[in-house]
Amino acid sequence: MTRLERHAGTIGVVAFLLLWETAARLGWRNPAIMPAPSEAALAALTTIPPGVLAAHVATSLGRVLAGFALGAAAGVALGIAAGWYRPVALVCRPVVEILRPIPPLAWIPVAIVWFGLGEPSKIFVIFLGTFFPVFTAAARGMASIPPVILRAARSMDVDGLRLLAKVAVPAAMPDIATGLRIGFGLGFGVLVAAELIAAERGMGHLVMEARQLGQLGISVFGIFLIGIVNLVADHQLAAAIRRTVGRWHRF
Amino acid sequence: MRARAAEILVPLAVLAAFLGTWEYAAAAGWLRPIRFPPPSRLAGSFVDLAFHGFPEGITIWVHAAITVQRILAGHALALALAIPLGLLIGSHALLDRMTAPVVAFCRSVATLSLLPLALVWFGTGEGAKIFLIGYGCFWVMLSATIAAVKLVDPVLIRAARTMDTGGWAIFLRVVLPATLPRLLSGARIALGVGFMVIVGAEMIGTIRGLGSLIMEARTFYRTDITMVGMLCIGAFGLAAMAALEWLEARLVPWQARAEAQTR
Repeated sequence: MTRLERHAGTIGVVAFLLLWETAARLGWRNPAIMPAPSEAALAALTTIPPGVLAAHVATSLGRVLAGFALGAAAGVALGIAAGWYRPVALVCRPVVEILRPIPPLAWIPVAIVWFGLGEPSKIFVIFLGTFFPVFTAAARGMASIPPVILRAARSMDVDGLRLLAKVAVPAAMPDIATGLRIGFGLGFGVLVAAELIAAERGMGHLVMEARQLGQLGISVFGIFLIGIVNLVADHQLAAAIRRTVGRWHRF
Repeated sequence: MRARAAEILVPLAVLAAFLGTWEYAAAAGWLRPIRFPPPSRLAGSFVDLAFHGFPEGITIWVHAAITVQRILAGHALALALAIPLGLLIGSHALLDRMTAPVVAFCRSVATLSLLPLALVWFGTGEGAKIFLIGYGCFWVMLSATIAAVKLVDPVLIRAARTMDTGGWAIFLRVVLPATLPRLLSGARIALGVGFMVIVGAEMIGTIRGLGSLIMEARTFYRTDITMVGMLCIGAFGLAAMAALEWLEARLVPWQARAEAQTR
């Protein structure tokens, strides 16, 4: 690998930012329409105290983690049950299949009617965003376990709950892990939308409020922040999955 | 035969039981109809929406047509830009390395966080909505295209070279057909993203479209209309997915067979 190839990613990022910076400075000249990245960062860091910025990030992360944890737990549990016990599948499937195609954001009005404007309605919508992909992935993972594995285990007198916990669930883990990552991504996207509509804090609120105040630079900064936080969180999740599931499977 | 019948009847029975319990709970006063309008009320609202519309005069068909139109416009625009760019990036390793972090980053920016920018750039009209849908679809399609080109079996290209096939001919007759299945499934995933984004994009600055219908209905405490609107978005999304899957099976039948075999 040549030196150029090794640093290609960094060069790409720098080139992208430089291109944007020059385009913004030469092309539009009007930072109210298209702020340059440097202006955006400067505007945000000089007007918002770091503590407030951290609070926005923490609020958003708290919401997404709460919704994700609930959605992942429910999705994994129900998905495994539906993939393993036929009666559960027959009862769950029809209801899930009807609700699944509804985009999570479309639940926001109903969530507000059911839970009010506070935290529970946001967490509920993130929960839905996470639940459906995780459920589908877990059920599919359970359904596509090679029957040879199960027969081999049975021949060694592993049966019932032990078969489920020691053989079937580990075998379905790669699918479940994929579902978790998709679910997290969706939950994160939903979070921002939920915060745009009604919130006093959070990164989505930061972006929206800045626009209303005419400070587009802060909006751009907020958008960058959302992207970076999402990227980092996804990396952490992937690393956690590799640490746990990676014991049995390679990705 | 009997097993197949059960496969269809049991889910129907479950759904009937679900709706029946809901209806009964609402009638008995356990569920407040403003929060959980009973299924019979939803059916009535659907008929009302189909003939009279909400807000007055805009029927559900108008809302749906506008929403679908916006999604298709954004989707088409995204595909038109992402496929050529993706083919270019995917076939040059250095370019791919350089753009990979930018692509990964832009994908993880939540599309709807761009709403403020879209409003400033395009106003509250159609442009902002199509831009948001286009953004969401574009990055999904771009990554799918890049991956599709990179995953073309090099043996195919070498084989074509040994038969004296030149650059453009290889691209047109080997690379493009080999990437087609992945491009189609990328387009399908992108369309799904479009359906996700549209609801958020329609929540501001419009009273037409299914997304605005469900938000408008909430401000008038018409939960029944909100729910009918949600089900309609779900139904249209499902129909669009099914249509693309059908198209995939028609255009690249070899792929469907290969997938069935690996399962």
